Amino acid sequence: MSKAVFRHIPITPLSADELLDLSKKHKLSLSREDMLVIQAMFKEENREPTDVELEVIAQTWSEHCKHRIFGAKIEHTLDGKKEVVDGLFKTYIRNVTHRIMDKKPGFVLSAFVDNAGFVKVDDQTAICLKAETHNHPSAIEPYAGANTGLGGVIRDILGAGKGAKPIASLDVFCFGPPDTRQEDIKAKDVIHPLGIMRGVVRGVRDYGNRMGIPTTSGAIQFDDTYIYNPLVFCGTMGVIPIKDIEKEVKPGHLLIAAGGRTGKDGLKGATFSSVSLTTSSHEEDQTAVQIGNPIEEKKVADFILAARAQGLIQFVTDCGAGGFSSAAGEMLSTVGGEVWLENAPLKAPDLESWQVFISESQERMVIAVEESAMPELQKLADIYETEICKLGKADGTGILKVMHHGEVVCRLDNSKLHEAPRRHMTATWTTPKRGEDTYIPFEEVEVGNELLKMLMADFAIVSREPIIREYDHEVQGHTVLKPLAGASGDAPQDGSVIRVEGTQQYAALSVALLPEWGKTQPHLMGRACVDECVRQLIAMGANPERIAILDNFCMGNPDDHTELGALVETVKGMAITAEAYGAPFVSGKDSFYNYFKTDEGPISIPCTLLVSGFGVVEKKEHVVGASIRSTGSKLAIVGQASSGLAGSVFARMIVKNARDEVAFPNAPEFSEAEAFDAYERYYELVKRGVVLSAHDVSEGGLAVTLAEMGFSGKAGLHVDLSLVPTLDNTPVAEHLFGETPGRIVFEIDDKHAHLAEEAGFTIIGQTTDDGFLTITNQRQQLVHLPIKQLKPIWQTGLTEYY
Amino acid sequence: MPLPHALILKFPGTNCDAETARALKVAGFSAEVLPIALLEPGKLDTAQMILFAGGFSYGDYVMSGRIAQLITKHKLGDKLRQFVDKGGYAMGICNGFQILTQLDLLPRGSLIHNESGRFICRWAGLKKNASSPYLSELPDEFELPIAHAEGRFMGVGDDTANYVTNGRAALLYTEDVNGSSQRIAGLQDDTGRVFGLMPHPERFVNKVTHYDPDWNEAERGWGYYMFKSVREAIAV
Repeated sequence: MSKAVFRHIPITPLSADELLDLSKKHKLSLSREDMLVIQAMFKEENREPTDVELEVIAQTWSEHCKHRIFGAKIEHTLDGKKEVVDGLFKTYIRNVTHRIMDKKPGFVLSAFVDNAGFVKVDDQTAICLKAETHNHPSAIEPYAGANTGLGGVIRDILGAGKGAKPIASLDVFCFGPPDTRQEDIKAKDVIHPLGIMRGVVRGVRDYGNRMGIPTTSGAIQFDDTYIYNPLVFCGTMGVIPIKDIEKEVKPGHLLIAAGGRTGKDGLKGATFSSVSLTTSSHEEDQTAVQIGNPIEEKKVADFILAARAQGLIQFVTDCGAGGFSSAAGEMLSTVGGEVWLENAPLKAPDLESWQVFISESQERMVIAVEESAMPELQKLADIYETEICKLGKADGTGILKVMHHGEVVCRLDNSKLHEAPRRHMTATWTTPKRGEDTYIPFEEVEVGNELLKMLMADFAIVSREPIIREYDHEVQGHTVLKPLAGASGDAPQDGSVIRVEGTQQYAALSVALLPEWGKTQPHLMGRACVDECVRQLIAMGANPERIAILDNFCMGNPDDHTELGALVETVKGMAITAEAYGAPFVSGKDSFYNYFKTDEGPISIPCTLLVSGFGVVEKKEHVVGASIRSTGSKLAIVGQASSGLAGSVFARMIVKNARDEVAFPNAPEFSEAEAFDAYERYYELVKRGVVLSAHDVSEGGLAVTLAEMGFSGKAGLHVDLSLVPTLDNTPVAEHLFGETPGRIVFEIDDKHAHLAEEAGFTIIGQTTDDGFLTITNQRQQLVHLPIKQLKPIWQTGLTEYY
Repeated sequence: MPLPHALILKFPGTNCDAETARALKVAGFSAEVLPIALLEPGKLDTAQMILFAGGFSYGDYVMSGRIAQLITKHKLGDKLRQFVDKGGYAMGICNGFQILTQLDLLPRGSLIHNESGRFICRWAGLKKNASSPYLSELPDEFELPIAHAEGRFMGVGDDTANYVTNGRAALLYTEDVNGSSQRIAGLQDDTGRVFGLMPHPERFVNKVTHYDPDWNEAERGWGYYMFKSVREAIAV
């Protein structure tokens, strides 16, 4: 097609209802208020918008791109008391981070302004991290959805600063249970959790492995609520010279597009992800899912890194949601400029103007360069076999003008475009009542043994080994602490540690999500996710002062007051702990409308928060794994146990299997101030080089932590619960299986044990040469099992399903 | 004396070139990563070793290493064969091994999908089955990481049994990891100068990248000794 194909859409004469109908008909996902503002905008200009302009506005104002719920004014009622939240993001995320940045100058180099947040490693080098979700595409096309989910976040890193080098990826999934019965799925066309899991894992595998980026960290949650809306989080860490972080588009810069060609794949992804799924989504929204080609991305990545090294890049960003419209729109947002759509290489010739501009075809980057750099850039593009074209030019007018074969198809004033109307929302949350917990007696050692074996076989706990081995976690040759380690390389760790290229330091990477608490204890979930993520980083040897985190939210229907209430409470909880730990948020993302309209009504996911974090490990001697190193060591604990089993894996397991009425309404308690003080004391021991191994206490509680440490195969463990510090009169069940945050078990050489005690930690046991996991309460045995018997139960829990 | 020069070919999709160059430098080579677009026959005259690194050349969608082989053949013709005949060394790691196999520089056979049908990332025990300039400084048994979907070596008829007897199969797995016939992990040609293996020596240059912190007192890992072996062989 050698001419522009676009049309004007009359909106100025329409009524509010008609405007809303138009928005629905064109799948713009714009509200009545949005449409009225747009109408006013064009009335003022005395003209009708083109379809290109409407699509651009819809993409720019979509929840996906603009995060309007996190900016909304929310009237929130907590236990009957009203409060007004003047923007969740501003109040609880950005302001917290800015206060931490003031206290720790020089650590966070940039937050919230670029594709990813940067922190300093040394005077020359910074690292950055970004995590994204790709839930809706993965629900209807698991392989392609997850494939491009990872591909997209890798491009975020390539487009961070003047082009960061991706050095590690993480993936976190929430699926329905693998053993879900087909007849229990209440909507047709929903893909069974096994199909989702296999497709998603293979999608991540085929993108990450081909790109040569190690996938080193991750987590999987299984719950019925994720059958209809599986969650797929992909994250990537990058490294960049500090001098290449700052970037700016100036008048006169050329905009070039590099990488893949533009096609009809991935139309309206941003607006598609901003509505709920229905059965018809599986038929109608297929064009919203993109198709990945990792080798195309590898070529453009090689090109960008080479061009950046030669100083040829002034600004770079990726084509994500909204395609060229958001990439070029962002780059020209203040400076203004022209875009020439006819220059974009196409996959097929029959694209209309709006399709070229908003297509989310993968593997494309937009780069601002000096015109004089073009010959060098073309040379590099030829060497790395990627395609580049002149897409536009910045001109200093402040107006975004999109041309197609000489015709103006879109002319928008950027200052107006970026002012989406603010939303006003209502939320409510009622704290569940405390009550009487069912008492579990542990009189016979067989009870403890059997319960622990059941827990080790629970989907929440079992080894992710079959999936981990599908990912190349060693490529680039810098993976120091691997996801599986120990004497036989198959024991679980708290995360991973990667050498930061060009420095003598290391980066630890970890993730935490506790969606069970999202159902009943969202405030605690927010606090505990931050705690667990930070705690794992510190356990692995990161300096507690040099940790940064990301928040990724997923929830169901934000127009449901209680669901939004859970989100508000989660955000509030998360902010408290982040501020107490001095762990700034440097980036984040949210995904709404994760609910599915079945014939029997909508099914929402629980409010789900993923906190992923990275921390600087200053020396290789500081790297601490979670696998026991030797017999005859002492075991010490950071933190203390408390009563309350609500939301624990143990409580869920008991409730599921109990014949009688059981209830666990109470949640555990912990104090951030005490926890962080203890972490800093622990880190002093790490720096002295006396911590042999350490593992966080999280899902499954202390008993599972000890078993997992024992899976190194090097020693047995014996712990006496009567020595474990507690906050209250903690019952045995909580001692063994409770999930109070703030705790780390660590192994220390016998001759250094006094150092742990002097640092205020309690010795709770020792490693043994009998190969048993033994947990006693003074003389009474509570658990006594050969580790060799426990390990296969845990190790093979997923092999039947993956 | 100048350092021996190693040329690492980088196809679109090659992704182990940087760490391989790093490993070669540590072992005493000068190493150059050469994007395939810049390859011309004369380049070989500058090098003592040509190295095909790991990755997914051209995506490996057709057959692992097949397109890389066609492009290499197109660019170099008989020049690669002549390079080896004149005393040059050629090494292929993982995808590079797959490419070398396609280029007919190694005893015939194919690397096909693992028996499990999956990608496998783990460490594997290895044992030397014959002397090789690439293995001289390594003990009889050692270990290296593997990461591949198509690493199962298959021959025609009695090929693989013969390779084990005549020493073409220089490197064997100590246990079955991917269904490889005769547990073959690495092959050499009859001069010993051409060597291909599925495991990744470049990922185990330093002790710190071993999965077990108590592995050994040594500072260097087994991968280092593989590159050092061939470095010594070239220097003689």
